[in-house]
Amino acid sequence: MIPRGVRYALSGISWPVYVLLYTPLALVAYYSFSPAPNSTGHSLHAYNILLHDGAVAAALRRSLILAFGSAITSTALGTLLGYGLCRFRNANAKGFLAHLPSLIIYTPIIMPSLVFGISELIFFNFVHNATGLLGAGLVTMVIAHITFQVPYVALTVFARLSGLDPYLFEASYDLYANGVKSFFYLIVPVVQPAIIGGFLLGITLSIDDFTISFFTSGPGSVTLPIYIYGAIARKGISPEINALGTLMIGTIISLALIQFFITRHRERAGQLSARGKIA
Amino acid sequence: MSTMPSEVAIEAGRQRLRLWVTAGPGLVWIMLFLLIPSAILLGIAFFSADDYGNPVLPLSLSPFQQVAGYSLLGWDSGNIAIFLRSLAQAGTATLVSAALSYPLVFFIMSRPESLRPLLLLFIILPSWTNQVVRTYAWLELLGPNAPVSWLAHALHLVPPDLGLAPGSFAVTTGLAYNYLPYMIVPLYASAEKLDWTLVEAGRDLYASGARLFWSTVFPQTLPGLLSGVIFVAIPAFGDYVVPQLLGGDRALMIGSLIANQFTETPDWPYGAALTIIMLVFTGLGLVAFRILTRKLGGAEEATI
Repeated sequence: MIPRGVRYALSGISWPVYVLLYTPLALVAYYSFSPAPNSTGHSLHAYNILLHDGAVAAALRRSLILAFGSAITSTALGTLLGYGLCRFRNANAKGFLAHLPSLIIYTPIIMPSLVFGISELIFFNFVHNATGLLGAGLVTMVIAHITFQVPYVALTVFARLSGLDPYLFEASYDLYANGVKSFFYLIVPVVQPAIIGGFLLGITLSIDDFTISFFTSGPGSVTLPIYIYGAIARKGISPEINALGTLMIGTIISLALIQFFITRHRERAGQLSARGKIA
Repeated sequence: MSTMPSEVAIEAGRQRLRLWVTAGPGLVWIMLFLLIPSAILLGIAFFSADDYGNPVLPLSLSPFQQVAGYSLLGWDSGNIAIFLRSLAQAGTATLVSAALSYPLVFFIMSRPESLRPLLLLFIILPSWTNQVVRTYAWLELLGPNAPVSWLAHALHLVPPDLGLAPGSFAVTTGLAYNYLPYMIVPLYASAEKLDWTLVEAGRDLYASGARLFWSTVFPQTLPGLLSGVIFVAIPAFGDYVVPQLLGGDRALMIGSLIANQFTETPDWPYGAALTIIMLVFTGLGLVAFRILTRKLGGAEEATI
């Protein structure tokens, strides 16, 4: 397809780009092993400080609560949303109301995260001044994170369901399954990969986010990214920040690779067993 | 005869109820926690600001005059410069990522099929690390004490004791780095569907390499490229973290300017007016993209 000369040129451009993509991340790791004060040579000094830093531990705990709390809720809301839109929406309906659900779902995706974050800041501020509820903190952060995850989960589940044979639903009704039963015994198992995918996507989006967290957080809800941002703004990059960055980079890369190879292994196994059945 | 329509009506009503029970909670959630808040934000732009920057009556258009650069001290070109700089930064970052994406995508396509997902994953992986971490990482590569900056000193590109970061070069690099996957993924999707027989036909007609690319490969991958341009340009234009960490005072972008009106020097109506102008620019970009895509007859998007 691609002539040999062109392939060499493509490799010549691409491998350096791959190296460049990981150079900054590698530098973070490199500087995290910098020597302890008054000594030379690489050391785990920064990691040692990090381990005994209560603020970092608290920030990590909040980050995990934020990621899992928001992803679990948004998976529930998003799965129902994707299911409902796929199954119960009148496909022939015309007009503004018929387009409203799509409009609502795409808003969080299209909206620049800065506008998203500031909108939440103002809204929670007004609500708090009026009612005393929802002061800026972990709760408002979880609410905001759920809001940007729901559409992604809904789209993932919707995509999976719309690829299904519609007669499956008919068949479940013929077997006297009511709506709730058919949801739990047919839909949930069938879309399970999409639900898990949506959940993992939600966690990834939550961990990746800084801007929206920044504008919805309060003084008592510093998460890891906000901690790092604040530390850099106050006193620049320190070996401890690099150590923390290294751990975050390492965790996410390992998780992604593990997930990738597990999925691939399953797919291969599935293909092999399918082939075995045919033969 | 007479029972039929009512049964149909009852069934339609049931269907509507099911839709509300399933899709309702998610839709109401997004309306309550995003649509209403953003409507409030946009509304604030038409109020006056009190001494603390909070919105108060009477309604006024002075926030928009502030956006245009008018204040008590007369007219200032600062805001226009920031807008133009943001456009230029987003534009350059989009160009850089498009220019890198083509060779990368076809490099991946030229590898064995079993390796391709892994090669694609390694391009996307850095973007899964936290935004702050992957952005400040560039400070270490481009900062005043880094080897790259020594090279820049040697070539007299930057004055000594200043690094490449913070500055506009670092912002462009950071934006391109952050949003490269958003260009690669749609471009890869359209390259996978490429009809290679057209390329072969062109080769049989002795088309040169460049000619072959422009008349067979490029038109077929244009839908992917256009989606990529939108996915990169829009978030890059309003980005907050990259200019904040890598820009310093010399490369202020619209995102930081807006954020400052809600954090450091509060003036909510002014900040809201800036947001409206930013969204208008974004919206114009989207509309232009839709028209362009339709004219070129591409980009069938999967829609809900």
